[in-house]
Amino acid sequence: MSARNRELLGLIPASLLVTAGFAAVFIERGSLSQDQLSEASLTYGAIFLGLCVAAHVFLRIALPHADPYLFPLVAVLACFGLVMIYRIDDTLARQQAQWFVVGLILFAATIVFLRDYRKLEQYRYLIAAGSLVLLCMPRLPLIGAQVNGAYLGIRIPGVMVFQPTEFAKLGIVVFLASYLRDTRQVLVVGARRVLGVTLPPLKHFGPLLVIWGMAMLLLVVIRDLGSSLMFFGAFLALLYVATNRLSFVLIGLVLFGIGGWYLSTTVPHVIDRVDVWMDPLNPQRYQVEGFQIANSLFAQADGGLFGRGFGGALLRTPFDSPLLPAAETDLIYALIVNEVGLVGAVAVLATYLLFVQRGFKIALLARDSFSTLLAAGLSAVFALQVFVIVGGVTNVIPLTGVTLPFISYGGSSILANFVLLALLLLVSDKARRPEERARGALR
Amino acid sequence: MSESLEPISVALKFGFLAVLYLFLMWIVRSAWKDLRRARDGGAGALIADEPGHLAAPQADATAMHSAADDVLADPIGGGEPRLVVEHAAGHPAGIAYDLSDGVTLGRGDVEIRLEDPFASGRHARIERQGSMLVVEDLGSTNGTFLNEEPLRGIQPLHHGDRIRIGDSEFSYLQD
Repeated sequence: MSARNRELLGLIPASLLVTAGFAAVFIERGSLSQDQLSEASLTYGAIFLGLCVAAHVFLRIALPHADPYLFPLVAVLACFGLVMIYRIDDTLARQQAQWFVVGLILFAATIVFLRDYRKLEQYRYLIAAGSLVLLCMPRLPLIGAQVNGAYLGIRIPGVMVFQPTEFAKLGIVVFLASYLRDTRQVLVVGARRVLGVTLPPLKHFGPLLVIWGMAMLLLVVIRDLGSSLMFFGAFLALLYVATNRLSFVLIGLVLFGIGGWYLSTTVPHVIDRVDVWMDPLNPQRYQVEGFQIANSLFAQADGGLFGRGFGGALLRTPFDSPLLPAAETDLIYALIVNEVGLVGAVAVLATYLLFVQRGFKIALLARDSFSTLLAAGLSAVFALQVFVIVGGVTNVIPLTGVTLPFISYGGSSILANFVLLALLLLVSDKARRPEERARGALR
Repeated sequence: MSESLEPISVALKFGFLAVLYLFLMWIVRSAWKDLRRARDGGAGALIADEPGHLAAPQADATAMHSAADDVLADPIGGGEPRLVVEHAAGHPAGIAYDLSDGVTLGRGDVEIRLEDPFASGRHARIERQGSMLVVEDLGSTNGTFLNEEPLRGIQPLHHGDRIRIGDSEFSYLQD
């Protein structure tokens, strides 16, 4: 079976899932008769399948050799998102569906205009500077939006609150991949061993310290441990892939640990987050900042093994105050666990895991270092984003406001992640083209 | 919720989970097949995803880690470092140039003359730096390619590296 036919086959389960999910939500609401029920949910499934097939036909023409499993995996994640958000609020779901369409258009545009994605390398400093500006913009007056003490949004009046971290993560990975492609060998060549630890030469240690400084500065500027962890983690992952020196990663982790510890003892908003994380069920805190994480844990426990079924979770108290705050964005994972239980949540995590596995496989197949680093970096930043938010919701790490890729409600998240998918597929198509493989074989 | 629909609701939930898991198993199966193929056929077989496509052997000097590792191990191996002509107008393929004193490549009056319209007068230089050989582009118009990547700054050379200038291509060997 050819790669593209597998992709088409993989889209069938995704649309079945949408149909089943919507049907279950309708039943739970009890708002429709049985005939209407099958009709309405089948319509949703058919529209979803139509969109996916359109994207698939586009891939068939534009990137015939790209990895066949990435797109179906994303379709499954998006279907989870749509069903869950529909279950919370119809209006939000309609908006999310519109963002999904815009995301697919952006996805196609990326593939058309960045066909030779290696020209990104020429603009690396521009991309890096642009990403940093994007990251700092939420601190500007008038357009900046502070949410729970972290500066993560830019208000575009009438349209949306734009989340610059989502796009900045792509820019930073592109920059790091291109920068490390150039310097990875000098980093290793000049290395010395001090007390059994390989240290990079001082001259090249400088840029690494600068990147560490930037991560720390980001922590101070946007006051968000999660996004900072995401960026710095992606940097360390790329550094490891580029140089194969575990010591560099360890040095980076120690530096990050020092910075994180310092901030978690001085910035009030971070101190609160850490306190809640250490003791989420403390009754004194429950009324204020502990409310979100504690209710998230209760909701997950309530889900049990198989969950309460779609539409079964209780979202509002009898007094009509929200029981699960930010259920459509930050806490959507808790809602998924509540409704489909541990078994369903494990399936969601497995979907992410397989997405990342395909990403790293693309990195392995890529025939030049920039492509390898780009694919590895994009996969790493994607994986870290999932870790940061799922880890936060399950209280493994302090909870921070990062979206769950392709599932959470939010325009910028959907758009940025579709660009990420487009880049991965571009790298994959180039690596798996038959003539590229033949060139590799001759070498 | 109407009572009559409850079994359907439960069935839908389990149906949903079943489809989801079948889908995931389908993808895991393909990843598993890749791993099995890699174990049986060496690392190079990782590349072969669908049957019928040819699997490239693992002789890739650009493989990221091998490049970094042999730098630290033993910069110049047992054999003399040399530049072998793959194809270049005016040079028979397969002959090797000694690199121990460093060479300049280009169209002008240099050690290795290229009859290549894309080459500059003094195009690139290979020389010894400490215990290893490095290659540097001398500000050429059309650039030098190390393993098909544009050369920037000074880069160390490793056994099996390919240097391309215009249509002329050389391999660096040091075994």
